Amino acid sequence: MSQEIAVIGSPDFTTGFRLAGVRKCENVPDDEKDEQLDDAVERVLEDDDVGIIIMYNDDLDHLSRSARNAVETSIEPTLVTLGGGAGSGGLRDQIKRAIGIDLMDEED
Amino acid sequence: MAEDVKPTRKNLMAIEDRIELSERGHDTLEQKRDGLIMEFMDILDQAQDVRSELSDDYKTAQRKLNMARAMEGDVAVRGAAAALQEHPEITTQSKNIMGVVVPQIESTKVKKNLGERGYGLLGSSARIDEAADAYEELLETLILAAEVETAMKKMLEEIETTKRRVNALEFKLLPELYDNQDYIEQKLEEQEREEIFRLKKIKGKKEDEEREEREAEQEAEEAAETVPADD
Repeated sequence: MSQEIAVIGSPDFTTGFRLAGVRKCENVPDDEKDEQLDDAVERVLEDDDVGIIIMYNDDLDHLSRSARNAVETSIEPTLVTLGGGAGSGGLRDQIKRAIGIDLMDEED
Repeated sequence: MAEDVKPTRKNLMAIEDRIELSERGHDTLEQKRDGLIMEFMDILDQAQDVRSELSDDYKTAQRKLNMARAMEGDVAVRGAAAALQEHPEITTQSKNIMGVVVPQIESTKVKKNLGERGYGLLGSSARIDEAADAYEELLETLILAAEVETAMKKMLEEIETTKRRVNALEFKLLPELYDNQDYIEQKLEEQEREEIFRLKKIKGKKEDEEREEREAEQEAEEAAETVPADD
């Protein structure tokens, strides 16, 4: 089954991806992120046609704890964040928990 | 709890069997955990490379988009973005790494030529084309990053599960089984000592009885010998 890519973020962030052909874009203006970003993430997570979610790393701070946890640990669709380091999107914490060493820190 | 088990030989044999099985399982799981960590290290190197590529591509794409916005205006860029008709699609297949099913993502229609973009040659400029090109390249790297990071997440989950199982065996199940084994062995030894003591007691009692019997017989014989003859 073919799936699509979804982008969640401010209109400035999503415009470039729309230019590359991504049509599932959830535009949330910067000043409404605290109220609307959770709903946008939930909508995308529930969409079976979405295989990859693209978000800006700093936008994750606007999410509630449960929504952030849901999107960070989701495997299908999987989250890819932009603007953060290699350990963004909760991966760094997961590595520390599973391996016991901060491997991302070592590589920096 | 060690006191919950009945101190019988049958239970001791069953516990010894469980200890053997648990130790074997513990060794196997430890090997699996180490193997998974080694595989994970390979993927981690790949992920670091993809991440740095992603960061570079994002910066380039942003710069080109900002340039297009500055030169052509935000409305023209948004207009071009809205005109696109071909949409990138991804298909997921799976690959097995040490029992962990990880995805292999294949993408189609990410890179498009000018004709496929749908906004026409006349209605746009080279700046918008460059920005679209850069974002298409970024999407390709993003898809690769998604594949690698999903594989990492899945492997980390499996490593965590295996680690928890190894720890449960090492720090919970095996110590309990060893405690139970010690408890039953001690109880059985105690029972054996009690049995020996009881047998000794019985033997002593029997010997006392036999001695008393013998003494009584002897006294009777002596009494018979000392009776004077009538003639």
